Amino acid sequence: MDNLYKPFLSKILKVNPHTDIEYTFRMEYAGEVKPGQFFEVSIPKYGEAPISISGIGDGWVELTIRRVGKVTSELFESSEGKSFFMRGPYGNGFDLDLYKGKQLVVVAGGTGVSPVRGVINHFSRNLGQVDGFSVIVGFRSPEDILFSDDIALWKENKGFTLTVDHASEGYTGSQGMVTKYIPDIQFKDINTAQIVIVGPPRMMTACAGAFIERGVPEENIWISHERRMSCGLGKCGHCRMSHKYVCLDGPVFNYADAKHLVD
Amino acid sequence: MAYKISESALDAIIAGLSAQCAVYAPRLLAGWGTSSDVDIVGYAKIEKGSQIAFDKKSMYSFKEAILPISQTLFYFTEDEMREPRPAFAQAVVFLRGCELHGLSRLDDVYRADGKLDFYYEQLRSNTKFIVIGCEDGFESCFCESMGASGVPACDGYILSRGDGYVLISNFDELTDLVKAEKAEQIDFTPVPAKNTLKVNVPDEIPEEVATSPIWDEYDARCIICGRCNFVCPTCACFTMQDIFYDENVNAGERRRVWASCQIDGYTDIAGGIAFRKTKGERMRFKALHKLKDHKGRYGRNMCVGCGRCDDVCPEYISFSACVGKVAKACKEVGGNG
Amino acid sequence: MDLNTKKIKKNAFRVTKVRGQTASRIRVPGGYLPAEHLAAIQEIAEQYGNGSVHLTTRQGFEIPGIDMKNIDAVNKLLQPIIEGLKINQHDPGKGYTSAGTRNIAACIGNNVCPYANYNSTGFAKRIENAVFPHDFHFKIALTGCPNDCIKARMNDFGIIGMTEPQYDAGRCVGCGGCEKACRLKSVDALELDHYKIKRDHVKCVGCGECVLACPTRAFTRSREKYYRLVIMGRTGKKNPRLAEDFIAWADEDSIIKIIKNTYAFVKEHINLGAPGGKEHIGYIIDRTGFEEYKKFALEGVVLSPKAVMNQNVYWSGVHYKLPSYK
Repeated sequence: MDNLYKPFLSKILKVNPHTDIEYTFRMEYAGEVKPGQFFEVSIPKYGEAPISISGIGDGWVELTIRRVGKVTSELFESSEGKSFFMRGPYGNGFDLDLYKGKQLVVVAGGTGVSPVRGVINHFSRNLGQVDGFSVIVGFRSPEDILFSDDIALWKENKGFTLTVDHASEGYTGSQGMVTKYIPDIQFKDINTAQIVIVGPPRMMTACAGAFIERGVPEENIWISHERRMSCGLGKCGHCRMSHKYVCLDGPVFNYADAKHLVD
Repeated sequence: MAYKISESALDAIIAGLSAQCAVYAPRLLAGWGTSSDVDIVGYAKIEKGSQIAFDKKSMYSFKEAILPISQTLFYFTEDEMREPRPAFAQAVVFLRGCELHGLSRLDDVYRADGKLDFYYEQLRSNTKFIVIGCEDGFESCFCESMGASGVPACDGYILSRGDGYVLISNFDELTDLVKAEKAEQIDFTPVPAKNTLKVNVPDEIPEEVATSPIWDEYDARCIICGRCNFVCPTCACFTMQDIFYDENVNAGERRRVWASCQIDGYTDIAGGIAFRKTKGERMRFKALHKLKDHKGRYGRNMCVGCGRCDDVCPEYISFSACVGKVAKACKEVGGNG
Repeated sequence: MDLNTKKIKKNAFRVTKVRGQTASRIRVPGGYLPAEHLAAIQEIAEQYGNGSVHLTTRQGFEIPGIDMKNIDAVNKLLQPIIEGLKINQHDPGKGYTSAGTRNIAACIGNNVCPYANYNSTGFAKRIENAVFPHDFHFKIALTGCPNDCIKARMNDFGIIGMTEPQYDAGRCVGCGGCEKACRLKSVDALELDHYKIKRDHVKCVGCGECVLACPTRAFTRSREKYYRLVIMGRTGKKNPRLAEDFIAWADEDSIIKIIKNTYAFVKEHINLGAPGGKEHIGYIIDRTGFEEYKKFALEGVVLSPKAVMNQNVYWSGVHYKLPSYK
């Protein structure tokens, strides 16, 4: 019998520090993986932490880790050439095929950018696969902006908006909550456009409401929940919402289902 | 096959079993209560039949025998991780009928979709389960209402009667021991337990019940100690813990411990976020899991009506009373409860 | 009226403010009274007293308004109560043999209270049996836990129940309930380390809060019962003070022995020239020094290795002193 709790070793190929507390680790991984899925990354003796996949490439995955606790602080001590223990990938992830040939809007806030980074990267490189692509990315302040390298690329798409909730005087970029920019989106066909929203719970509810108000069907809205995913196997119970385990059935949910889930 | 056996024969049979494997049973543990000079029934190893507590319900359920409260998953040294040896190779667990129904709920979670839990399976699949018959049940029991009063197929059955015991054996090791005692064979069919407490259990709970005001009273009543979860034969949640040893920081272990959805920290995620802050929300989360959400996933109610959470609650919060409140709330929101 | 006041006082009758009237004092060791005796108390109060009963501060009854001529009759009616409560007595039918050693008071203990670390009323009766009757003025009180509901620290001997928490790490989930209870309600002797508990035995007062808080029976009670013996607390006009710790983690037998030894100490050192021939133990120790007391108190006492004794005990208390008037 396989021990599903047993992690494997994965080599750190590259470390890319965004801010003092946010690093992206490129990890050796050859298996099949989808954006939106996550790994349980661990330092033995310190613990495991669920980290969503922020980038996918040939033979590697990228994990953006925010230093917020014991495990992540310990992960930050590691450098290229060293290894992490990992289990996964877990969760359903985003099904990119669903968006192909349709207009796609991605709204992401803060660390919520991480799980959709793979989605944005994919369609930024393959604009032809969608019928229009808008991205609204929000951070709390200019200092909190993540993935500056990626954003530089994403900016080439004229449907891209980067906003900060607030900034000190002299900041020339866009300001305000992400919801402020939803009314500006031009829909070609409101009935088929696909919306992906990832961020803090209240931000997702507010954004979904704004799209529904504009006439987007609930079934075309996708969100990704962040909960306490600990075992990744639907057993430990911590991430349960109603009869769904976020680690198994999610983290990506269709809004028509997600709105019935109770914490 | 059913046999009539005496007290001394039972002693000999259990002694024989415990020579072959670990035997766990509800047992009166002297001074084990929270208050002084209070004896309570808990799960412990036994060597004799007379150590089985037939006349009292155990405070904690059988589950600790196959799902240890604190279980090491891996031992770590500098470059290696090693799984520990299981707590036992073979075991026999005596348990009440409600608890055997509880086992099926644990199976729902730990064996879901063929994704077997390695550690659970190690112990569970090497355990024989013998049901201790309840004819009348205890004051707080409501297994009948929860549809868990019958005796499911099991490895054995024992009933304490005025004139000794009725023992049904469904496995060879036990049958051999029973035969060695020259026990008299009898015709016997276990009957479902009967309860005086009857609870109206709703078939379907509309989602509006989640926002019903019935949960508010628990904000003031519950002390979020988690006892209800820990005594429950169906609560399956656990929390992972990694540690290094003080004496040698290069070695350590990863373990899992029972978790309680009532206790602070259960929903905490990085960045200081928690999802259910009020006690009422936590009670609602637990109650709806037992009565709705587990069923939504696995097709049967999680709660088996054993009443252990009622018996243990220091604040006298009764789960059976809560079930009644849920049923009433279902009617109020127009459900078919 | 010619009456030996010394004799009636020793017989547990009081000299009251009303000439010719007395009050009968009934001892109830540990405050534990089978309800049947209430009828006898009522009968005495209605037949010989003024129909009322006072509940004393030491858990006895005092029946006031009794004509001193009726002392013998009252003593006859007291007999079933004295016998029922198994009070040691020299002359059956003649009431209480002495009154100096006061009723042994106790909180309700583990007959009822979930916090109590032992049966305080039961231990109170054991002490009563060991020390009564005696004319020396001893005040002894027992309390189930360091909450000290009986105010044992205001007695010559205060006995505070302790349990030694037994920790089974294998049953601990690291919920922190015990740590929180200890920190907020007791002495902060617990620490969560690697999700498990470390207990500081030096800090621990054996209150049992951790056991009560533990939802998994990781903390349970020690089979043995332990006691903290605090000594020489007192109220009064000269220098009221709280009792100080003498021995922690002590056993029952040693405590009884120490109390009995103290009677020998008092017999040796009491100043019979003191007013009324009465000198309280605490003041005697103040006079002789603690070392002298300890010599008597520990005679033949074999403490268990677990017991921790203060080699010296220092008291402070109230020394009346107000700013003087101009």
